[in-house]
Amino acid sequence: MMNVHELAAACGFTYFNGKELEARPVEGAYCCDLLSWVIGRAGDQDALVTVMSNPNVIAVAVMADLPCVILTEGVRPDEKALEKARENDVIVLSSSEPTYATALKIGKVLAG
Amino acid sequence: MKELSLNILDITYNSIKAGADRIEIGISESTTGNLIEIEIRDNGCGMDDEFLRRVTDPFVTTRTTRKVGLGIPLFKQSAEDAGGTFTITSKVGEGTAVYASFQLDHLDRAPIGDMGSTLVSLIQANDQIRFIYRHKTDQGTFVLDTDELHAQLGDVPLSEPAVLSWLHAYINENLENIQGGKI
Repeated sequence: MMNVHELAAACGFTYFNGKELEARPVEGAYCCDLLSWVIGRAGDQDALVTVMSNPNVIAVAVMADLPCVILTEGVRPDEKALEKARENDVIVLSSSEPTYATALKIGKVLAG
Repeated sequence: MKELSLNILDITYNSIKAGADRIEIGISESTTGNLIEIEIRDNGCGMDDEFLRRVTDPFVTTRTTRKVGLGIPLFKQSAEDAGGTFTITSKVGEGTAVYASFQLDHLDRAPIGDMGSTLVSLIQANDQIRFIYRHKTDQGTFVLDTDELHAQLGDVPLSEPAVLSWLHAYINENLENIQGGKI
């Protein structure tokens, strides 16, 4: 199994926050932009892959205890979201590709 | 959330937790005005200015079991994602009013959802609370006041299964008549 930093390196994701944070294991990804849907569905070793970039994304990651958030299509977190990520030790990564391509890449990397 | 009725349920539970014994839920749909408005107003304990300022922040909650609360932030996001606005006003000892508007034809606007089931589940679990529901469309207005139901039913509680199933059909029929919640 990979941890978040190994996954980020292997997939070429860059960091908005948390490069220095302890990396938790990642076993998969959960792709969804409807945040209420994520709670109770994403597993606690799933990276949340989304285009949403407001503070609620970070709150959902905290609530569902997810190892990281990956923002796709080069979307940047808004200032408030970034502040909340820092305060709550949430790793936020950036992928330049769309959600599907990002998930495919994660899938390939995790499958070894 | 997938449906606005789920947001309404969530926000109404805040009112219940705030000790309200009177909760008004209003929905207004205007095709001509391209607007949906939702308001939930209660006479619960209310919030002070300091808490009110922070309440749309998902990292604020009255719960002690976890450090995030998403009911209000997600409702605000639903409105803003659909070109609408969100406001919340409150006064300690008087109550709280939550208002959200939505651009009716916005692609990211969630459907209203099943208000019949939402109301029945609220009434079923909270027989002691007076719920006043107003649903207005271009076709007309439907008003449901649980005090009036109590007056008609006498000693029979609203939580009685036969009453609930009648109530569910009654709400759906009346919403159907004004084409409420179809959009």
